[in-house]
Amino acid sequence: MKTQLTLTPDPIDERALIAEREMTVGMGAALIFHGVVRAQEGEATIAAIDYEAFDDMACHQFELIFEEIDRQWPIESVRVVHRVGVVPVNEPSLWLELIAPHRAEAFQACQFLINEMKQRVPIWKRPVLPSA
Amino acid sequence: MTVTVKFWSYFKDHTECAETSLELPPDATLGEAHAAVIAQFPVLGDMQNSTLKAVGVNYQPDEFLLNDDDEISLFPPVQGG
Repeated sequence: MKTQLTLTPDPIDERALIAEREMTVGMGAALIFHGVVRAQEGEATIAAIDYEAFDDMACHQFELIFEEIDRQWPIESVRVVHRVGVVPVNEPSLWLELIAPHRAEAFQACQFLINEMKQRVPIWKRPVLPSA
Repeated sequence: MTVTVKFWSYFKDHTECAETSLELPPDATLGEAHAAVIAQFPVLGDMQNSTLKAVGVNYQPDEFLLNDDDEISLFPPVQGG
């Protein structure tokens, strides 16, 4: 399984990511997920989220998740982009792409990846209020 | 032995530092190191049960035996995505 992980302070350039896609002829599903910053964080209306990552550990934990996906599903490739730093409301902080033979395994692996990420990848967020 | 302890997220705010070092007896465990950190920074005691602990880039249990120069990380529950 091919994997690509990017932690970046830059906006996610989806057009460039899709242009770089590699997908063999046996694959029938290309699943893309955007995690987008919401304007509501609990009771507060916010302007952005400031993401902090422990980069080395985050990369290692993502690699462990990729290995588990590779064991469980016939995924051809996984690409993950997670932003760090300030991400304004309505912009994606997370971009995922999974390439698989069929949609079922792509959706299952996508759910697994996100659930595991939220359990163990050391990334934290701080809400940024509009007045900040 | 000497180990480094790094703090992440709002733990840095509570301790007012990004890292500290600890002198521990040989064969000290990660749990013992955590207790020593709480003695130094009592504010972290309120979050003791929810604190996540790693050595290097791997999560480890309290029973994990530390080595000289290990780098411990203490942090709150993660929130990626």
